[in-house]
Amino acid sequence: MDFRLAQDEEAFRREVQDFLAEALPDDWLGVDPDGHSEQADEKLHHFDLEMRRKLAAKGWLGLQWPKKYGGQEAPMMRQFILEQELIYRGAPYWAISAALMIGQFILQFGTEEQKERFLPPIVRGDVQWAVGMSEPNAGSDLASLQLRAVEQEDCFVLNGQKTWQTGAHYADWATVYARTDPDVPKHKGITTFLVDLKSPGITMRRIPQMTGHPAFCEVFYDNVRVPKENVLGEKNGGWRVALFGVATEKSFGYWLINSGRRDFEMLVQYCRETYVDGQPLSKDPLIRSRLAQLAIDIEVGRNLGLRLNWMATKGMPIIAEACQMKPFGGNILQRLANLGTQILGLYGPLDEQSRWAKLRGRMKFLYLASAAMTIEGGTNEASKNTVASVGLGLPRG
Amino acid sequence: MDLSFSEEQEMLWKSARDFLANKCPKTLVRQMEEDEKGYAPELWKEMADLGWIGLPFPEKYGGGGFTFLDLVILLEEMGRACLPGPFISTVVLGGLPIAKWGTEQQKKDILPKICKGEAILTLALTEPSARYDAVSVQVKAKVEGDHYVISGTKLFVNDANVADYIIVVARTADSANPEEGITLFIVDGKSPGITTHLLRTIAGDKQCEFTLNKVKVPKASVLGKPNQGWGMVGEIIQWAALAKAAEMMGGAQQVLEMTIQYAKDRVQFDRPIGSFQIIQHYLADMSIDVDSSRVSLHKAAWMLSEGIPCAKEISVIKGWLSEAYRRVTAQAHQIHGAIGFTKDHDLELYFRRAKAAELYFGDADFHREMVAQQLGM
Repeated sequence: MDFRLAQDEEAFRREVQDFLAEALPDDWLGVDPDGHSEQADEKLHHFDLEMRRKLAAKGWLGLQWPKKYGGQEAPMMRQFILEQELIYRGAPYWAISAALMIGQFILQFGTEEQKERFLPPIVRGDVQWAVGMSEPNAGSDLASLQLRAVEQEDCFVLNGQKTWQTGAHYADWATVYARTDPDVPKHKGITTFLVDLKSPGITMRRIPQMTGHPAFCEVFYDNVRVPKENVLGEKNGGWRVALFGVATEKSFGYWLINSGRRDFEMLVQYCRETYVDGQPLSKDPLIRSRLAQLAIDIEVGRNLGLRLNWMATKGMPIIAEACQMKPFGGNILQRLANLGTQILGLYGPLDEQSRWAKLRGRMKFLYLASAAMTIEGGTNEASKNTVASVGLGLPRG
Repeated sequence: MDLSFSEEQEMLWKSARDFLANKCPKTLVRQMEEDEKGYAPELWKEMADLGWIGLPFPEKYGGGGFTFLDLVILLEEMGRACLPGPFISTVVLGGLPIAKWGTEQQKKDILPKICKGEAILTLALTEPSARYDAVSVQVKAKVEGDHYVISGTKLFVNDANVADYIIVVARTADSANPEEGITLFIVDGKSPGITTHLLRTIAGDKQCEFTLNKVKVPKASVLGKPNQGWGMVGEIIQWAALAKAAEMMGGAQQVLEMTIQYAKDRVQFDRPIGSFQIIQHYLADMSIDVDSSRVSLHKAAWMLSEGIPCAKEISVIKGWLSEAYRRVTAQAHQIHGAIGFTKDHDLELYFRRAKAAELYFGDADFHREMVAQQLGM
């Protein structure tokens, strides 16, 4: 047993840290790994584009991918190290991660032609992808999706609606899960499409979130023609693609914890520097105890994430483990934001823009933003269902 | 990074589980709760013969030369089996301090006896204030000629009723700083002036009131440097907290497994209760508590084994498990219903132990304070 990174991995970690110290402004507050900030705010979006180009220049996009598609064929651990550092500093990473995830799908299920066409632009940081899964009547029950794709001679014609699509308004392409056969059990009639979002017939409406950020999009498909070569995997084989995503791309809970470390450290710093009645807040036994509990939770969660990543590098199945991680991460951020706003007292509810705001309104923002963190990327309930069935072998209800 | 166990460790794991499943049935556990000694001497001897009691001690004193991480593996299985007896007291509270700070003579005199299962040790630290802090050390030791004389009452001393040697923490000098002027003594359990009274506890373990009435101790029995004992105590508490956490880990794992099984077997409303979503979510939460504990436990134990400073990591896992183990056992009761509330069922053994273990060697509040200090607060 050895919890240390290997020497070359440690050197890579330092390289990423140095890169970020250079690339991020000194007063960088950080964005959450769900992408809601940089997909809503024009200025942050442009900063995201800039970061993508810089990361691409370092050769850090598609680290694990084959060299013939522009990748580095680096070990998976490098990718994890990169992610952890980016997310700990709150660098914009969500759009990249969405593109990388879809690239991973294309590597697994795509034709050679699709790989050559779609992977190099991702590696160059030139393209943004969105994920079209949820619909108004298909949330956790994704397989009940209704967006229809009807096969014609040279293409499929898509009609219907996707929703809660983070950043679709900035995206060039989207994966769209659509119903190609309504007469078979619902899991068996779904196909995955690679859709150019500039196709005629696509319209979008941005949806403001509780935080005020319009990061979500509703995307409407009205007789949208998608060429047959843009089917990913087999016709009616879309559920396999979705399950592959579930099995391989489930580090979101760990990301939340790594992101929370930054906010937690900021909060501790505030409590050490803020004096009340001649004594720092950090000496107040109630505050001290609750901060320490959060520190314990974060550390335990980080270790759980470490194990998750290590298992993934060993090719072990991680579905149940990832589904344990997810609620762990979301719950911690909610508690962190709750405690943070409470410690700030009457300053807690102030808007980010207020000249009186403490910690630049971050705790208030996170209090609202974290409400989504036990929902997005798999609700706590869906995650626990998976833990129970896959991990614990409990009978289906 | 490699988070797997070595083949040797896997073997230790398996042999410990098999041995304890065979030799430590719950009938023995219950019997020992009522027993005056609280352990089975034949089983103790067998464990010594297997090399378990000497596991972490240097080979030259008859030990196995294993690491703390190896010890943790053993302790997890002991926690799973609810093994009664003075294992942590002897090995962690008594043996390891002697191995680390003892003189060559002290080591030669005592460690081989520990390894052979012929000496039981413990640590007499806490007093009626019931706190693990320096200011609470009020028992005094005074120099008289070539020996010390110790008087006072120690409370909550584990296994003092059967201890051959007791490491007594006593005040030898008054100082404005309560952490100064504390000395550790290796006291022979048969010394005149010692009386021991058993205290009955929630967990059926052997906590004692331990009174020293002018007990004469030779100067050669001082462990480490006189007046500088508190630093050692701090370290011993950390080891003990980690060892206790390992026991708790094994108990929590066992409770999770038996509760999953119960949920699969128990039929109500014509189906196993484990098919109900609320039961599934309870169990998923329990599994998150258990699995997350394990990584943090092994990380702290690995760091200690590698000599990497790990005060924070130890407090993280003991602070975390102090609550997680209790949560897991309480939830298990909810799922088991009435049967778990009876003495006919094993679950209550774990529920009672979880509460005691939570409080021993620092409860969650204690370890939160340690973590707060480590965060520079």
